[in-house]
Amino acid sequence: MSLIKELKYSLHVAVRPFDGYWDLKYENKGRLRVALLVLLAVTVTMILKRQFAGYVVNDNYPLSLNSVNEFKYIVLPFLLWCISNWSLTTLMDGEGKFKDIVIAAGYAMLPLILVNIPNILLSNVITLRESSFYYLLDSFGVIWFVWLLFIGTKTVHQYSVMKTMMTMLLTLVVMGVVIFLGLLFFSLIQQIISFGYTLFQEITLRE
Amino acid sequence: MRVKSWLIVLAASLLIAGLGHNQAHAAPYEGYTYNYWGDAVKSPIAFLPSRVITGDEAGTGAWQSPLDLYAAKDGLLYVLDSGNGRIVVLNEKWETVRVIQNFKHDGKQDNFNNPEGLFVTEAGRIYVADTDNRRIVELKQDGTFVRAIGAPESEVLSDTFEYFPRKVIVDKAGRIYVVGRGVFEGLIEFDSDGRFTGFMGTNRVQFDPVDLFWKTVSTKEQREKMIRFIPLEFNNADVDDGGFIYTTTADKNTASAVKRLNPSGIDVLRVNGEFAPVGDLTFNRSSFVDIKVSSNGVYRALDSTRGRVFTYNEDGNLLYVIGQLGNQIGTFKNPVAIESYGDAVYVLDRDLGRITEFKATTFGSLVNEANRLYSSGKHTEAAKLWQEVLRLDANYEMAYVGIGKSMLREGKYKEAMTYLKLGNDREYYSKALAKYRREYMREYFGMYMTIAIGLLVGVIIWRRIARARNERGIGDVVN
Repeated sequence: MSLIKELKYSLHVAVRPFDGYWDLKYENKGRLRVALLVLLAVTVTMILKRQFAGYVVNDNYPLSLNSVNEFKYIVLPFLLWCISNWSLTTLMDGEGKFKDIVIAAGYAMLPLILVNIPNILLSNVITLRESSFYYLLDSFGVIWFVWLLFIGTKTVHQYSVMKTMMTMLLTLVVMGVVIFLGLLFFSLIQQIISFGYTLFQEITLRE
Repeated sequence: MRVKSWLIVLAASLLIAGLGHNQAHAAPYEGYTYNYWGDAVKSPIAFLPSRVITGDEAGTGAWQSPLDLYAAKDGLLYVLDSGNGRIVVLNEKWETVRVIQNFKHDGKQDNFNNPEGLFVTEAGRIYVADTDNRRIVELKQDGTFVRAIGAPESEVLSDTFEYFPRKVIVDKAGRIYVVGRGVFEGLIEFDSDGRFTGFMGTNRVQFDPVDLFWKTVSTKEQREKMIRFIPLEFNNADVDDGGFIYTTTADKNTASAVKRLNPSGIDVLRVNGEFAPVGDLTFNRSSFVDIKVSSNGVYRALDSTRGRVFTYNEDGNLLYVIGQLGNQIGTFKNPVAIESYGDAVYVLDRDLGRITEFKATTFGSLVNEANRLYSSGKHTEAAKLWQEVLRLDANYEMAYVGIGKSMLREGKYKEAMTYLKLGNDREYYSKALAKYRREYMREYFGMYMTIAIGLLVGVIIWRRIARARNERGIGDVVN
């Protein structure tokens, strides 16, 4: 499949998730590169949104805008979600491989682009009174994304509805645990380094 | 060698650049305002100290911990020399006109005992909060005794009520409002005959969810040892021409450090900007000790944390900040009272026993004048002055808003949008945008519709052609 066809297919997934995700997994139509492309595009749209959303809805302090932040808020949570979901579902006999999870989550983010880009354009011509439309569309995009993620997780792991919801909630918990362990790890490393350094100082100053 | 000469050139240029800022260094403090996001932004200095006076210079001997100051409508400046229990009256040239040391009361000589507050009515009656004598004393202008108002008597007061009046204000109708020490119920109100009528403008109890959590999980014994939630006490007050009472609260955590009470005691202070008038938006917040309302709704609050005077307009926008703690002229050690008369601002320093007078600089008087025109609705005249303000301080957001609003009225919507965006006024920006959008659509609607219909027709024709070609192509294959 050419890239154009693959992208067209990702649109199909967004509109017809049940059918789309099934083919994604069992017909091998999912492509990792499309998922990563979507991730990149979402990052770029978020940067564009922060910078170019209309003034009435854009409350960002221009001096505090930093594109690197988007990695913190999008790329890192994305990876964390995939890792946590994978670690959890291997224990809860899910059928999805790690690659499947990345693809499912990546395709699910497409609505964020589809909604955000017209929304950025729209926000530049609306007034404060009409700004609720902007927020409505914004939350619509998010709900669509969560819906796709739900169907994706369900199809990829072949879970029931309840089990999918439980898994998704638990994934969030696991994400928290991973962050906690990460911070603990870094803090311990820091302490080891400072201990080593103190020891080194102690020894060198002794002679 | 080359590096060295470059260094010398660099050092010399730095030195010259440093000399260029002479003007700014002449002031003992820096001017600043807060922008939309709560960052302090440098601003030209609005007021500079013009003269100072101590008790010795006034010829009355040093003032001992003076606690209050009042600039009367006739230009006389009343200083409450608390430590010496007297009132010193200065004229506009700062010559001592009168010293009120003691007065005849019921045929006997009477004195003040550590008075803390002073108020002079338009008719020239002097009201003194004679704190340790637990009374309000009313004197005529020449110092003759009129009456004394003692502690409030009422059944609503508990037996443990201790009356120590700290500050006193009198409104146009002659009602007397007293700020009492440790009185949490609000201002103590007396009618013009000196009868206690009640409390007004009680502060709300500060509520903190964290405290509530600890209260619910702690035992009864623990709870008894905790501090109780009590409303905050007022520490100073002033009354404006319309009879509204402005009060200050020394608490550093409250969002309503300044209140504007209407006659029924409800806070009607206008807060237009992003931040309520609380002084500095830093972690260690300002704590206001005095407030003075000057003309057209502009009020100045004195902060004891850093010795600064914050001037707000009637919408609650910060106009400028002057003063600082320090030991130069124009800075204070322990500022306790602020007054203004005409375009001058007076700050009384308790520890130094000194009054500092500030006069507006070019920038300050421009801002004052522009704000005066702006608040009286003369937006076009104000816009001219705001332009001047912007020439001195391109960061002055209020000026952008002022110009933007005036342009909005003149129908220059596009320019108005630019200015309102710079001034960070989303509400008016949105109004300008709506008008601009309508104007734009009226002009270009036809053109856009033509393009849209043209495109539509083009697509239809293109499809027809494509289909025709396809059919022919298929036909060729079939043939």
